Amino acid sequence: MRQGQTLLANFDWILFGIYLVFLAMGLATVYSTAYNEDHPNIYDFSQKYGKQLIWISISLFLGLIVFLIESDVYRKFCIPIYLFTLILLVIVLFMPAVNGARAWLGIGSLGIQPAEFSKIGAALLLAHFISNVNVKQQTINTVLTANAIILVPMVLILLQPDAGTFVVFTSFLFVMYREGITYDPLVLRLVNAIPGVRFKHTWVGSHFIPILFIIVFLSLITLLMSNESITFQIAPDTPVNGIWIIILSLAIFAVLGYFVLRFLSAKRDRNRVLIIILIGFLLTAGWSTIVNFGFKGLADHQKDRIELFLGLKEDPDGEDYNRNRAMAAVGSGGMLGKGYQNASVSSVESNHVPESETDFIFCPFAEEWGFIGSLALIFLYLFLLIRIIIIAERQRATFNRVYAYAVAMIFFYHFAINIGMNIGFAPVIGIPLPFFSYGGSSLMSFSIMLFILLKLDSQRRDILQ
Amino acid sequence: MNVDARKYVLIAFVILVGIIYSFRLFYMQVVDDSWALRAQQIAEKRREITPPRGVIYDRDGKKIVTNKTYYNLMVVESNMKDFDTVAFAKLIGWTPAQVTNRFKEIREGEGVYKNKRTGKTTPNYQKFKPYPFLKELTLEEVMHIAPRLEEFSGFYEDATSMRSYPFANAANIVGYLSEVNQEEIDKDKFYRPGNNIGRAGLERYYEKELRGRKGIKYIVTSALNNAIEPYAGGKFDTTALQGDALHLGVDIELQAYGEKLLKNKRGCIVAIEPETGEILALVSSPTYDPNLLIGKRNVSKYYGLMAKDESKPLFPRPLAAEYPPGSTFKLINSLIGLQEGVITKNSGFACDKSVVGCHNHASAGNLADAIKHSCNPYFYAVTRRIIQQKEKKKLTEDAEIGLNLWAKYMHSFGLGKKLETDITGIRPGLIPDALYYDKWYGHYNWAFSTIRSISIGQGEVMLTPLQIANIGAIIANKGWYITPHFVKSIGKNGPLERFTKKNSTMVDTKHFEIIIEGMRRVVYESGGTGKRALLKDIVICGKTGTVQNPHGEDHSVFLAFAPMDKPKIAIAVFIENAKGGGGLWAAPTASLMIEKYINGKVTETEREETILNAKFSY
Repeated sequence: MRQGQTLLANFDWILFGIYLVFLAMGLATVYSTAYNEDHPNIYDFSQKYGKQLIWISISLFLGLIVFLIESDVYRKFCIPIYLFTLILLVIVLFMPAVNGARAWLGIGSLGIQPAEFSKIGAALLLAHFISNVNVKQQTINTVLTANAIILVPMVLILLQPDAGTFVVFTSFLFVMYREGITYDPLVLRLVNAIPGVRFKHTWVGSHFIPILFIIVFLSLITLLMSNESITFQIAPDTPVNGIWIIILSLAIFAVLGYFVLRFLSAKRDRNRVLIIILIGFLLTAGWSTIVNFGFKGLADHQKDRIELFLGLKEDPDGEDYNRNRAMAAVGSGGMLGKGYQNASVSSVESNHVPESETDFIFCPFAEEWGFIGSLALIFLYLFLLIRIIIIAERQRATFNRVYAYAVAMIFFYHFAINIGMNIGFAPVIGIPLPFFSYGGSSLMSFSIMLFILLKLDSQRRDILQ
Repeated sequence: MNVDARKYVLIAFVILVGIIYSFRLFYMQVVDDSWALRAQQIAEKRREITPPRGVIYDRDGKKIVTNKTYYNLMVVESNMKDFDTVAFAKLIGWTPAQVTNRFKEIREGEGVYKNKRTGKTTPNYQKFKPYPFLKELTLEEVMHIAPRLEEFSGFYEDATSMRSYPFANAANIVGYLSEVNQEEIDKDKFYRPGNNIGRAGLERYYEKELRGRKGIKYIVTSALNNAIEPYAGGKFDTTALQGDALHLGVDIELQAYGEKLLKNKRGCIVAIEPETGEILALVSSPTYDPNLLIGKRNVSKYYGLMAKDESKPLFPRPLAAEYPPGSTFKLINSLIGLQEGVITKNSGFACDKSVVGCHNHASAGNLADAIKHSCNPYFYAVTRRIIQQKEKKKLTEDAEIGLNLWAKYMHSFGLGKKLETDITGIRPGLIPDALYYDKWYGHYNWAFSTIRSISIGQGEVMLTPLQIANIGAIIANKGWYITPHFVKSIGKNGPLERFTKKNSTMVDTKHFEIIIEGMRRVVYESGGTGKRALLKDIVICGKTGTVQNPHGEDHSVFLAFAPMDKPKIAIAVFIENAKGGGGLWAAPTASLMIEKYINGKVTETEREETILNAKFSY
């Protein structure tokens, strides 16, 4: 009895509340998007909204089961769980391909995507591994083992192929970064091989992952924006190219960032902040410029290949493409949106935006609720992510913290890439928006992931480790 | 750096992405309109609904131009399933090979699209778009096909409105429609490719009134181009408004009768109600069945044939053919003579065949008899007095003053200038003035003797049959006319304003009495040239004309109005290359028309028979 009381007393109702809000919003959006006049009832299980309702029920039920399982089980059985998801990833490679990918286990709408569940396995095993490592004395082996844990499922997922989930697995790098597992040992091995050089740490090796993230993110945005231009009302005849928009934005962020950091840091550090911001700005702006003009300088067929990869082009002959349609749908929402059930571009019936109930679900939402709705959704996601990070930071057990960060970073990736896809900031790789997109596998795996976290968190005081 | 502080890096990333996305969304959704425009292009279609054109009614309210619903059999290839070519061919009465060919024709007929950037060409044909498989089917045809159409998925019928001419007459009046060309589309925003526009006749002249107002529907469409729902609940839609009805002065039965009488002849009949200027009939022969020029299919098939036809069925003779008026012109010369005081009704001139040829008759001792006999030397003398009024000593200088005065009179009769009738393709005819002859002969190098043919309506004088008929109306009105016109009311708004105004001639009313008496004698007195126009119960006043022309037999002309005391109809009949004078063919034809119009039936069946059987080779 007493244990049950502490369980509920330590239960994070806020996180659970956000989860329920997302489920409701997601279901409402699926209902609006996939609405079928002949089957107006939301309980009509022949329709996607009816099915989503089933998936929600199953997910809540699974969540309850997960919650009832002793949290020690996840610690003890993380290796079998991880291996089980790997086996599923292998089996799925022998299944018939759907839409060109061997991603589905089972038949028709009852199928599941093992890739979704493999994230849980990897998260648990990584947490287990890191909690048993002395980070201060990490070796090349530690780094390589941690990387191998995520690399094995990544390779299997790439074989399906499922580019989206593949990319999402790189979110574990952030978790490793947070825990101090960096590429520093590798970099040191290389650097110290030079005679007469003897470093204890390298800045690049330690912060390799966020630097890589910034480089990739910046490069992507630069490439995706390279064909865009904005015209300002004060100078209607001079369109401003994508690269200038980026440099301008970077400058604005630099100035804002300076004032924020100046406010946060001690007086004696202010000069240092200015220098760091200045160097940061010059490096990022310089990199964007290099990427932009480097891309423009490429031969046409190379350009085509990159554009194809980024989803800027669906096929070389098509003048129109998904991304453009999705952006049109989002952009046409305006300030207040077209109103619930009034999405004209992105409803399933009109079919201008393919997959508008799954990967592109942000489209109908943004079209119907406009900027106000989109902003609210983004804030809700930020709230969710920061809440999970707060939960992560309050864990006593390293295992719990690593797992919580894994959840946060996976959600962050899904959020950033999925919405980025809809606003032209990310290549079109099909990954769902957590709790929002229609689909059983993603909803179930996200729910299980979240409920494991809730369980670990509610028992955080029991663990002294 | 403390490892624990790295959490701030992660939080910073999360917040940074959130902020960047918020800015981007604000820009895309609120600041930049181009995405909203793109969405409109993609999903919101503006569909125009072309209203049916205005209906055209005749004098008695009979529909002479109306609209009929036709059907196109549309096909969407992507919706076709298990298509049975043989069964379908049987249904539409084709051979399977024809069906296959038609599909090929549709696919290839859409042309190819060339991508400017890649240079690749792809067919413009799209599987999910509807194309007409069969065009312009009638209700009867579609009734046969429609019930079984559900066996052939992908096919459906689509209604379009097209013109229909229940009487198959008056083609030269109503004109026809055909598809707009690019120039017209550029000039007038109303038109879209595939729309029709009036090409001739009233359809062209009253195009703006007849075409109505287009309705606009904004709809949300799917990627397959299917309509899903009205945009914004139909808030911005406007309804289509049918064009105004045109109520004509034309009596369609009289028109049809006139067309029947002129069958196998070249010529025209123009009948006008003198009091109102309304055109009762305007027959051009040979003519064509207006139903032959309905729809794209027919226009492309028949228009070329008709345009090439040597007998010129498309040529509106009464409006555009300029003929010498012949003896009918003598009436105007007489009126001018009277007004100028150079003759009186009792003036007599000898029939002196040495100046100009004439037929055998007693010399006319007065104007009325001269008209009755159509005495050439008499009117030669009359016109000489008009032209040579001895204002100047020199004959040529005197002739110039006289001719210009004469021409001014003529213009006041609506001759030598375009009548402002509500139809296109009107010609002015020719009334020569001093300037005209100066060009031919040189300044002061001509006198009346040079130009004397004008006195008997030959030579340079040219009039259109419409103008000749209008002379009849002027005489019936004793000195004024309302511009002849077709439309007596546009919708309920009455005619155009200019058709309510009387135009006065320069001749006083009192001078018309004797002319009218002369015209009565033409028909009713022995020796009259137009006795074949005689009707028992209606007094006809007429004037014959026999127009010499270098191309063959004389043209037979008759100008008349009736009844004498309360004229209801003025008429001009012009039969080309008839063997015989105006009295022989044109006069009886005019009388039949008059009887038909005033009595509603024709009793002179023998006369009718003769005219119907007459056939003049050309």
